[in-house]
Amino acid sequence: MLKLPLIKLEMNDRRRINGPPGGTRPAVFASHLESSSAADRARRERQPTELRKIFLKTGLIPSASGSSYLEFQPSASLAAARETPKSLIPPSSALKLACTVHGPKPLPRSAAFSPNLVLTTHVKYAPFAARKRKGHIRDASERDLGVHLETALRGAIIAERWPKSGIDLTITILEAEDDRWWADAPDSHDASWGMMNVLAGCITAASAAIADAHIDCLDLVAGGVAALVSDDSGDSSTTSPRLMLDTDPAEHRSIMSACVVAYMPARDEITELWLKGDSSKAALENGDARSAHEALIDGAVDAARGAYSVLGDALRESVLQTIQS
Amino acid sequence: MTTTLPPVAIPGQCLGSVAMYSAGPGTHIQQSNIYASIAGPVVADPAQPKTGTKSTLRVSRVVPATIRAASAANQKQRYNTLPAVDSIVLARVTRVQKRQATVSILVVLDDASQDPSQNASDNDNVASILTSAANPENHNSTDELRFQALIRKEDVRAVEKDRVVMEDMFRVGDIVRGSVISQGDQSFYYLTTARNDLGIVMARSDAGNMMFPVSWKEMRDPVTGAGEPRKVARPY
Repeated sequence: MLKLPLIKLEMNDRRRINGPPGGTRPAVFASHLESSSAADRARRERQPTELRKIFLKTGLIPSASGSSYLEFQPSASLAAARETPKSLIPPSSALKLACTVHGPKPLPRSAAFSPNLVLTTHVKYAPFAARKRKGHIRDASERDLGVHLETALRGAIIAERWPKSGIDLTITILEAEDDRWWADAPDSHDASWGMMNVLAGCITAASAAIADAHIDCLDLVAGGVAALVSDDSGDSSTTSPRLMLDTDPAEHRSIMSACVVAYMPARDEITELWLKGDSSKAALENGDARSAHEALIDGAVDAARGAYSVLGDALRESVLQTIQS
Repeated sequence: MTTTLPPVAIPGQCLGSVAMYSAGPGTHIQQSNIYASIAGPVVADPAQPKTGTKSTLRVSRVVPATIRAASAANQKQRYNTLPAVDSIVLARVTRVQKRQATVSILVVLDDASQDPSQNASDNDNVASILTSAANPENHNSTDELRFQALIRKEDVRAVEKDRVVMEDMFRVGDIVRGSVISQGDQSFYYLTTARNDLGIVMARSDAGNMMFPVSWKEMRDPVTGAGEPRKVARPY
């Protein structure tokens, strides 16, 4: 029998940093203060059509020509977890983002003549924004959000009033929404659901910042999210998913499909629509003849109308403040 | 029949029908209604009785002067204005060539009031822009963010156009009042100074002192007494 030259494998490679010779164990961190069960997971305590409260304020960044800051109300489970901490990990996160508009300013020398306003959008997660650290270079999902945001806003801006100029719109996400409850393993319906909430927040904040910069718009644009959710732990075949507005993915066991719209309430127009997931199995209430798609879009529009009421009031407040100060 | 106008509008807010008003700046028309397109106070400019036109609705970018006068005087007004054809601008000369002078536009003056201290724009304090010494090393970066314009040799003055010598009209660092004649190409607007009230409004001499105008083509240094040729704007 041939004996393998074991000695060769054990030889050190001097061009690399070698690992320790023995085996290592990954460190295990305690996530729970005491033994916990699935009962600790975040739960939705709002009505299906009840939205989270939104904080929105414009003009907070003096060096920008327009700016806004937006926060969603944290889940009720977060407040409960602070009262009686069972886990070291917060059960849910709520969106916080800042938006700046620079311009209108001249286009760079290399750019071709443009009779219209050139809109550039950048969306960037802060490294600490999500549970998983984001790098400093924008990744595919951040670029994707930027493109969605640009289409949402382009339809609302009156671009021909600003020839030969461009605006730069930059959004920094300080706290992102979770895609699922943090302890859940990704299931078959899993997707980046949190990104849709982030986009809705981005649209609302960006519209406020553009209005703050006095860029001509047809209307304010508000973002809204609706989702078909099945919350039952048992087999989902018995109970059909339900339509909920402004879903926090951390509060639900399984999101079947979700929809985000950018909506102009005064004109009743949608500038951006993004549907994700499978809504074919959903059954609506009796007497509701709509398809699940239509119900999702209608729900998202309703959520956007709710966000619009905050957006309009925040802008009126900032205009009155400049008049009176 | 006149409905009351809201004091403050936000984009997309319906302000009135085109049957009663005509649409001014800051508004747009959708299905024969006038909607606000920016956020700000709503102003109805009264109709001219002799022409029989409707009164014009506009959404103001600035706080009306009456309200502003009552408030604190030191607050900074900021709004965005683009140069348009026929608008009067203040610009700083950045380069003088044989056939043209390159300037960067500092302020677009409002039609209503021609006094730059009344309506600052471009996010800056105009008084400080105008009085700061021209310092090419310092201003390179900010000039990139301003709109660039050209004054061609034939647009400098209305008479004796072929005898114009650009070096005797403008120097780098001078502040020019000009009128926009064209949006131009991708990079430059085109300005003219071929009017009595257009031309150099502020200039420093070779010695570095602020000069005063003595004629339409000469400015003088109050310290050394030396005169320098310029295309001078008529002082008000």
